[in-house]
Parts: sequence; C-alpha cells; structure tokens
Amino acid sequence: MTPRTSTRTLLWALLTSIVVLYAFPFAYLILTSLKLPTDAIAVPPTVLPKAWSLENYGTALATPGVIPSFINSTSTAVISTVLSVLLAVPAAYGITRYGTVSGRIFIMLALVTRMVPPVAIGVPLVTLMSTAGITDTPTALALAHTTISLPLSIWLMASFFEAVPPSLEEAAVVDGCTRLQALVRIVVPVVGGGIAVTAIFAFLASWNEFLFALLLTAVRAQTTPIVIANFQTQYGLQWGPMTALATLYSVPVVLFTLLLQRRIVAGMTLGAVKG
Amino acid sequence: MLNRFCKRGGSFHGHYDKVSGALLTSLDMQAYVCANVFAQQRFGVHRMSPRLMGEGTMPHNSGLSRRDLLKWTGASGLAVLATACGAGGTTSGSGAGGAKALSVLVEAGGKAELTKIAEAFTAKTGAKVTFIELPYDGLFNRLSGELSSGTLSFDVAALDAIWLTAFAGAVRPLTELFTADVKADLFPALVTEAQVGGTFVGMPVWTNAEILFYRKDLFEDADEQAAFKKKYGHELVPPTTWEQFNDAAAFFTRGGKLYGTDVKGAVETEWLAHILQAGSPGVVLDASGQVIIDNEQHLKALTFYSDLNNKLKVSPPGAAQLDWAGAQNLFNQGKTAMMRFWAHAFPLIPKDSPVYGKVGAAPMIGGAAGVAGIPGPWYLSVPKATKQADLATEFVKFAYDNNAMAIESSLGLAARKSAFEQYADKPGYEHFKPLLETLNATATKPRPATAKWQQIVDTVLIPTLQQSLNPNADYTGLLAAAKDKVQSLAQ
Repeated sequence: MTPRTSTRTLLWALLTSIVVLYAFPFAYLILTSLKLPTDAIAVPPTVLPKAWSLENYGTALATPGVIPSFINSTSTAVISTVLSVLLAVPAAYGITRYGTVSGRIFIMLALVTRMVPPVAIGVPLVTLMSTAGITDTPTALALAHTTISLPLSIWLMASFFEAVPPSLEEAAVVDGCTRLQALVRIVVPVVGGGIAVTAIFAFLASWNEFLFALLLTAVRAQTTPIVIANFQTQYGLQWGPMTALATLYSVPVVLFTLLLQRRIVAGMTLGAVKG
Repeated sequence: MLNRFCKRGGSFHGHYDKVSGALLTSLDMQAYVCANVFAQQRFGVHRMSPRLMGEGTMPHNSGLSRRDLLKWTGASGLAVLATACGAGGTTSGSGAGGAKALSVLVEAGGKAELTKIAEAFTAKTGAKVTFIELPYDGLFNRLSGELSSGTLSFDVAALDAIWLTAFAGAVRPLTELFTADVKADLFPALVTEAQVGGTFVGMPVWTNAEILFYRKDLFEDADEQAAFKKKYGHELVPPTTWEQFNDAAAFFTRGGKLYGTDVKGAVETEWLAHILQAGSPGVVLDASGQVIIDNEQHLKALTFYSDLNNKLKVSPPGAAQLDWAGAQNLFNQGKTAMMRFWAHAFPLIPKDSPVYGKVGAAPMIGGAAGVAGIPGPWYLSVPKATKQADLATEFVKFAYDNNAMAIESSLGLAARKSAFEQYADKPGYEHFKPLLETLNATATKPRPATAKWQQIVDTVLIPTLQQSLNPNADYTGLLAAAKDKVQSLAQ
C-alpha cells in the first residue's frame, strides 16, 4: 500500500466516522419511531426495534393539533422566507452597488438581532404583536422569524451580488436596459442559486425555530416543534409518538434541502461569466 | 472554522467576517460557505470584496437612482407586509359576536384534567374555554414573559406548586374562595402551599404524591412468604417502614434478573419524602427560611436512600442518572419488585407489560415520623392583568366545585379529599386509598415557598444526590457543602 493510498484510506475512515457520528442521532430517531411503544422506552435502550411497528405514527397523527400544527409551520415558514428574500434582495443590492456609508452601517446594524439572546427580543415581540392585534397568528410568528433570518439573508445576498461583476449590468444598460431592468432581468437570474440558498436557510430557520413559537403562539398558530415537545409532560414521556412526529416533521425539510441542493449545484456549474 | 475557510479562500474580508463569524450559528456558517463557493465557482472571485466596503461601486448613471431603489424596496416590503398581515387573523379574547370566551394556560400533561370541567363550564355559562397547551419548561418561560410584560394571552393559568411564590405578585388573590368548607376538603399541605404571604393565590385543581407500588404476585406467593419469614423472622407484607423496605428490597434482589427497588439520582422528591418521614420540620428550609439541609433528619434520609444503592446494592446499575421515566420502565418491564412512584402511574401500566394485573399499591413508607410524601399539586390562578377577571374567577370556583370530573380523565387525579373518596372503592382506583393516606399524613409537607426552589433543585439537590450514590460518599460532608450552596442561593 502506497503512502498516498493509506492516507486516502485514513481520510475515508475519518470521514465515515464523522458521517456516522452526525447521522446516528437521526437514524436512532427514525428507528425508535418504528419500535413498539413499550420498546421505545425500554431500559436499557436498544438501537434496532424488536418488532417493527407504525403504531407510534398512528398515535402521533391522531393527537389533536398535529395536522393544524403542520399547516401552521408551513405557512409561517413560507411567509417568513418570502419576506426575508423580498426584503434582503433589494437591501443587499443597494448596499453592494451604491456602497454608501449608511449602507455599511446598516449591514452591520442588521446583525444586532443576532447579538442578543432571542428571549430578549421575544418578550418585547409579544407586546408588539399584541398591540398590532396579530398575536397567535402565523403572520406574527413569521415576522418574528424574519428578525432572525433577514440579517443572514442580507449578508448572504450581499455576498452573492458582490460576486456579480458590475460589467454585466453595464453591458445590459448599454443594450438599453434601465438599472431596474438590469437588476430584474440580468442580475437576479444570475444570482438565482444564491436566492435559493438564502431561501432555504430562511426556511430552515423558521421551520426549526422553537422559542418564538413558544412565546408568540397559543392555539391557532402553534407550530409542530411545540406539539412535539408536548409529548414530554410532567407525568410521562411519550417517546414513541414524539420520535414519530419528529421524523415526519423532518421529511419535508430533508426533501426541500435535497431539492434546492440540486438547484444550487446547477447554479454553480452553469456559469454566466467565465472567470 | 469560518476564518480558516476564509484564509483558504484567499480574500475574505477581515472586519465583517470577524464580526459575523462570531455571531453566526453553524447553520449560518453553512450558508456562508455556500456563498463563497458560489462566488468562486461562478465568477472566480471571492465574496465580500472591498466593494462591499464602499470601493469600486457601479457608476450611478444607468437609470436606477438610489431614490428609485429605495422606493422599489420600500414598496416591495410594504406589499409583502400587507399581504402577510392579511394572512393572519384576529386574536382571541372574546368569542365571535361578543360571546364569552376564556383562555386557560396549562401544561400539556394536565390539559386532560381540565377538559371535562371546561366542557361543563361552557354548557353552564356559554363561555367557550380554549386551552393553550405548552411543554413544562416552556410553560414557565411563557408565564414569566407574559406576567412580567402584562400582555396576556390567557385568563387562567394552571401553575405548578413550586411556581406560586415566583408569580404571586402577578396573580389575583383568591382568598374569598377559601371558605372553611373548602379548606376542610383540601389536604392540609395543599392549603398551606396555596398561600404566599398569607394570601391565597391559587386554587388546587389536582394533586399527586408518591406511593409504594409492589409486585403482588411476588408478595402474595406462599413460597416467597415462607422463605422471607425464615430469613428475616417477620411476615412478607408490603413494607410500611424503612426497615421492612430494606429487608424486602434485599430479599427480591436476585442476581441482576430482579432488583428489590430502584434508586433515582436524577430526581429529588423521593429523598425529600424520606426527610419528612425522618421527622424534619421541613425540607431544605424551615418555615422561617433557615437552611436546614444539614440537620439530622436530612442525613438519616440521605443515608437510607443512598445506602440502598451503595451498601445494600438492591437497585439496578446507573442509579445516579435514573429519573422517573427510567424507573417506571424498569418496574413495568418486571425488573424491580417495588417502586416509590407518583400515584397517577398505577392505572397506566401497559397491558403488554409483564407485570400488568400483578401490581399492588400501598401508602408511602414511613420513618420515625410515620408516613410522609411530597405533594405534587397544580393550582389555578387568575392573572391580575386579565380583562376577564370575574369570568376567570368563576371558572376557578367551578373547577373546585366540580373537581371530581378530573378523575375521569386520562391522568385521573383531583385535589379534593371528597373527590378521591368518591372513587376510592371503585375497581381501577386501588391507588386512591394509599394516596389519601399519604396526603393526609401529618408529616406530609409542601416544598419550601421560595422563588429560588427550582434553582436549588437543579444546582444543589440533584448534584448532591448524585454524588451520594457512590460507595465512598461522605454524606455529612455532602450536606455541609450543600448548605453553603443553598445559603448563597438564598442570599
């Protein structure tokens, strides 16, 4: 075995170990969801089910509030993602293309919401949403989630716009486009992959968020992370249904990620400009 | 990691990235990595070039002025916000058409206790009752946030007994509901615990306490009884004292297949119950707030509890990490012969469990001061800031008046003595008489009324208990150290 081969083997072993380490909790979650309810809480726990069963899924889906919570999670994440992208694209474009002092200050201040603990923002948000009369709605929660995802979205989009040479827009202008047309018809399609990346991170941030959902929702807008947590009560842990619902809740976001992953790769390989 | 990536990337811009790198989460970092890869792959440049810092911007002569961009941005933002706001709806508070409505904040496990009561309340008053159901830890955060801000999403809250002191200033006094008849029908510890500074701030709605679960099939087996009597010189019966408990636990510990009992190091209430059984005037703190965690009774209780694991070795391995769920599973799997556990679990033994139909219930064991337990009640309180104080108070009174309805729930608990007594002789409620005896015992007392209680539990009691579950543990030294910690917390 040559030194190069042995290094490669070692690297593969290391990579495999890391993947197993990261993937094991999720694999264990899925396997637990497929155990019988009594096996799911056995002491000591087992990795593989003694008998395979979908009973936990039935129990989870029959729990009141589960289906509405999926709808709430989806609508909240969609609203938050749309808001983040629609606000981040022009904001980031303006900051990168005009390069003003105020723009530079703005992009730094945009990170303020990430400098403080979320709970410090959450309590005032409760009062604000209540004053606005939108408490316990997906809109209120989506606005709260936008405070998390918008700064990141602006920074991300700024970096994507940075990567687009100004000559591309200048060429478009020479060809008769206005600045707005150049932005909409030339720049935005070029950074489509970047918008997809920004959207997926905004969506993930909202989909997985727990604290604001806890503080800002009550009945009508309760999202699935809260419903999952409700399976652990003072009087017992319904481990089986909890893992089943967590698995179900993971499916859309895994699919979404895989779907946009392809879009991102495609975006990176097309290459509108040869460097 | 981000910085390393940046160096490899070549021209990652220092200042912004130091700031953002320190603030962003791993999720954010993945996004940044994607962004940089995108830039490199697509345009052969690295993101965050000096242009972002204000250098090399495009000329401003190509049709879209800064003002236009601002207009366009603002219009987009407003349009999205308007659309998003339209997607919402109105908040609750009163029902449609001005009908009465009430929101009740409750821990997920306790919702069932109030469901039938709420339905009956709606039938009687026409007021729709909506439950806001949250996980235990989240409930405390929600209560803290809303009660401190005064912006409420609920009119009634179900509070764990240990939170009453912390939230007493934000809830309405309910003293007028505590008539002599009401107090006489509640367990003494619950009446004590309902008061903060002499004012009643919550009405008990259900309570629990640890009782003794034992394997009837083992305790009533003639061969086991004969062998036990021959070995210990007294009858094999469900234990009522520490000594009987030790003997039975040792007798049923059989080479790893069966253990006499469990010892839970991850939860504290069992040790606290033993402290009261030993005759302590209180647990951790006395009535005047003095720290008594190093008194003789605390030491006796810790010795009794930890020696089950350290010296008698009658409990399964891993005691220091064992919590309620783990202990319940061990018993339901037939791995322990006895379990001190919350009474509500008695009817919840799964039908596919090997011990289903073979379990008996007895009062909590007793020490020098007799039987004692730590009550685990929940109280209904009405926040001062609610706009529906009268309706909320009416609901609290209705819940007390119809307390027996809670027994028909999946949790099957109530707060009134009369409610428990009404069911005690019915099949399936064999655990009620032991529960009544435990809750009525003179040594049974509530946990101290201090807003720091949860902090004391998490940072002192459980660590002390876990350290004591070691064959070489110095119980006296551990309690002395615990006293210092509690005193510093209390200050």
